Amino acid sequence: MSNFPVFFLHGLAYAGLLFLVSAGLTLVFGMMNVLNFAHAAMYMMGAYFSYSIVLRMTGQIWLSMMLCPLILFVIGALIERFLLRRAHVYGHVQELLLTFGLAYIITELVKWHWGNYPLAVNVTGILNSTVQIFGITYPVYRIFVFLCAVAVGIMMALILYKTRLGIILRAAVNDNEMANTLGVNVPLVFMGVFAFGAALSGFAGVIAGPLLSTYPGMAQDILIDAFVVIVVGGFGSLGGAVIASLLIGELQSFGVLLFPKLSIALVYLLMVAVLIIKPSGLFGEEEE
Amino acid sequence: MKQKNTNYIGIVVLFLLGAVMPLVLKRYHLNMLTEIIIFALYAVSYNLLLGYAGLLSFGHAMFFGLGAFVAAVATIHIQGLTLLSAVLIGFLVTIIAGFLIGALLLRHKGAYFALLTLAFNSLFYAVATKWHSVTGGDDGLSITRPELNLGFTSFPVASVSSFYYLTLIVVGAVIVFCWYFTQTAMGKTVLLMRENEERMRFLGYNTNVSRLILFTFTGAIAGLAGAFYTLHFQFVSISAISIDMTTAVLLMVFIGGTGTFWGPILGAFVYIIFQNYLSDITDRWPLFMGIIFVFMVLYVPGGLSQTIMSIRQRFSGKNDNRSDGPAQAEEAPL
Repeated sequence: MSNFPVFFLHGLAYAGLLFLVSAGLTLVFGMMNVLNFAHAAMYMMGAYFSYSIVLRMTGQIWLSMMLCPLILFVIGALIERFLLRRAHVYGHVQELLLTFGLAYIITELVKWHWGNYPLAVNVTGILNSTVQIFGITYPVYRIFVFLCAVAVGIMMALILYKTRLGIILRAAVNDNEMANTLGVNVPLVFMGVFAFGAALSGFAGVIAGPLLSTYPGMAQDILIDAFVVIVVGGFGSLGGAVIASLLIGELQSFGVLLFPKLSIALVYLLMVAVLIIKPSGLFGEEEE
Repeated sequence: MKQKNTNYIGIVVLFLLGAVMPLVLKRYHLNMLTEIIIFALYAVSYNLLLGYAGLLSFGHAMFFGLGAFVAAVATIHIQGLTLLSAVLIGFLVTIIAGFLIGALLLRHKGAYFALLTLAFNSLFYAVATKWHSVTGGDDGLSITRPELNLGFTSFPVASVSSFYYLTLIVVGAVIVFCWYFTQTAMGKTVLLMRENEERMRFLGYNTNVSRLILFTFTGAIAGLAGAFYTLHFQFVSISAISIDMTTAVLLMVFIGGTGTFWGPILGAFVYIIFQNYLSDITDRWPLFMGIIFVFMVLYVPGGLSQTIMSIRQRFSGKNDNRSDGPAQAEEAPL
């Protein structure tokens, strides 16, 4: 097991990425009761925008990390304001279908503009170096991904539970009619939450570029894993998303090491097991 | 009763119209029509789930693809298998799969159910991609269409027109059966369950069992359509079991409209023709399809069938409340 630390750290890096994606997904779902199928497509947009920015600005991934979330924040706000709100009138099924359709359109647009092949984003400077850890030489970038996820997780928890904004958000979730009556602009809160989710996915996309390369199938790949995170962790639970991301990240990583042929099925097996034993997820509340 | 009679007359007319098509159409268009009939069945099965039972699934392609692959694998590995046996094997395997998956997933509703169906679809896709020795992986499987054996006689269905007739008769009959199903007590139960599940439960219906039966049934019908898809193209690739195939059925159903039984059939018709001509003009046809889909979802949630119905009403001057809201399926004529 001399490979153990390597695979463990690989797992952590992927878990970090998974958390960044599923946190936005679960946040939007928890707040607005909308399962956003286009979430991963926005993550892909983040990755591709980052590719173009890095290409033009000669390797400035720091710039993408700041710009892409902003761009996606605006895109997310526009989608919520002009499309989702309209679909909301027709009900839940229509909302899901809309986000599904949007994901499809975004994927096609990406294929059109950037081509249907993988593009590599390279990082420079300190992120491109390696570090001695657990007696092995390990790329800094993967550790950086994990640290980003930890920072975002802590920030989200602080906002939700320690600030006035967090109180408003949680109030809008709990009983949005009452919150509306008390003077909270609930539609604005929803727009903000959706846009924030989009920004978060955009950030995850930027991070993912150098880790997994940028390709048109990346959205679907991460979407399924993020769904599994949500199923395993429990719907709308941030804590559940943390644990489930770690579980699935490590499972993916060690699955390749221990059962190369079965690795792809392991994640699904975990999901099926959770569905049979505890259908609401490890940290989920019972439905209804 | 009068309504019912016109329905039966409509079915007979459609079949007769279908029967003379090989005399009129060229080979290319006859192939397209065969494809349309197969996809019409697929779309009808999906609409039973979405339009009638209100279950939004993003994983219908797993049944379609399973039926397609099982039929292909059976044809390749079982010597002297007849055509209808291949279809039957595909059908039976999807029944089992539908039952097991339904038992697992139907505990959840709404968004959660939609998510799980998508996840299971990708499980099927992953298996189909990786299990290279059986499914051929990315290369897909080529088959030769077996002979049709009716016990007393057997005849080849290699030609375009003979396979067209077979599809018209068998798949057409299954579509009619699906329509008949919506008229039965079971079909009505499903519909009423969507409207008011609590009341149905109160009246003594076991809604979970009804839902599981419906899910299994629609899955098996999709599997049947998948088996015919394999036999039609004499080839099956992993795209048959991918999310794209679910997107395709969603498009068909939404173009046609979920509110009527015949809407998805119309949708399949429009979709296939549109796809054929659009793909000649531009490589970007999926993009246009996606835009049409989003447009339909936002502005014409009832689809073409609802538009047709409201136009017809305006002309006939009748003003029953049929056009109110999408999916008033209980009043839908064929």
